[in-house]
Amino acid sequence: MNEIGGAPLFFLEFGDIVIYFTPFTLTLFILALVFTVFVLVSRPERQIDIAFGGDAYYAKEISLSELRFRRFMSIACGLACMGAMVTGDVFDFTLFVSLVGICNVGIVAAVKSRHVQNAAYQYGLVALAGTVPMFSAAAMIAATTGTLSMLELAKGMILIPVAAKALLVLGVMGEGMAPFYAAKAEMFRAPGAPYVIMCSLSSLLIFLRVAEVILLL
Amino acid sequence: MIIQRISRVLSNFDNILPVFAAACAAMSVFVLLSLPLPYSEDQLYPKQIVPGSTLNPYDRGGPPFTQVSIHSQYPENSPTAGYVTAYLTPLSLFISEHTAYMGTTIVAHPGGILDEILYNTRGLDTVVEPTILFVAFAIAAYIFRKREA
Repeated sequence: MNEIGGAPLFFLEFGDIVIYFTPFTLTLFILALVFTVFVLVSRPERQIDIAFGGDAYYAKEISLSELRFRRFMSIACGLACMGAMVTGDVFDFTLFVSLVGICNVGIVAAVKSRHVQNAAYQYGLVALAGTVPMFSAAAMIAATTGTLSMLELAKGMILIPVAAKALLVLGVMGEGMAPFYAAKAEMFRAPGAPYVIMCSLSSLLIFLRVAEVILLL
Repeated sequence: MIIQRISRVLSNFDNILPVFAAACAAMSVFVLLSLPLPYSEDQLYPKQIVPGSTLNPYDRGGPPFTQVSIHSQYPENSPTAGYVTAYLTPLSLFISEHTAYMGTTIVAHPGGILDEILYNTRGLDTVVEPTILFVAFAIAAYIFRKREA
């Protein structure tokens, strides 16, 4: 077997979907787990705006419903991320990645600001469009090789078309598009900041994982 | 200079959709050029459509309460796979015996006939799919009701 992430340490079978932990995927899994726990216990930051040229400042209040919703989205994103890190099935991987994409859109869309809402709309469209190349990649892999299990594909018996790999990368890029723009200061400093970090981290993790998957196939 | 210009275009989030669409279009051309792709005959979960069967298109063959062999990736992980027709409820069994359209009625799903592949060998997929739907509905509901809060 082509062991790009190290030798598998542990297998967890769900029927044909075999979750496996290698040193690489285990590291990413623990990272996602730790961040999910951070999100669970952290409280949102209160943004302080200082009125320029005076002593006045005002703090933005975050309503309880918004806090709850964004925390829920962040935790869902963390769980989806953990799943995407360790799954050993191409179709299952694409499902988890599209869940990460939708959660990212949800985290961004919960911010009550016109600018951020417009951005969330664009991310939503890109995440929606990104599922098409991603699932077509999974379909092409299933059709050309007859299997979806990464463990079987990693044996390198069957050649996977470059087009399928390229489509998979393009799809994951579409799903993980949000943080490129979330890196803008006003979005991170938006009320309820810690949750936005989750979408950055999840995108980083799915990019790392898709690199492993592409090298593995 | 060119990097500056590219980053100026990319920094505006109104441009990400056209950029991504252009990437998708370029990729489609690449995929079309790479055709034809070989088709592997040794597929998992093969299925034949039997037009005469009352359980069509859910029929995977075999009498109820006996096991049919299903070509799955790891057969040892799902020992109960292949009992598909055993999942017929009494009502759906009655309908399948008296009409020709059991597979296309509303009782066929869910519970009438469970799709073997979805619920047995690929159960985790089935869990993740409704989760995606649930999260999408949660976002839609939150955004829709946000002004009332």
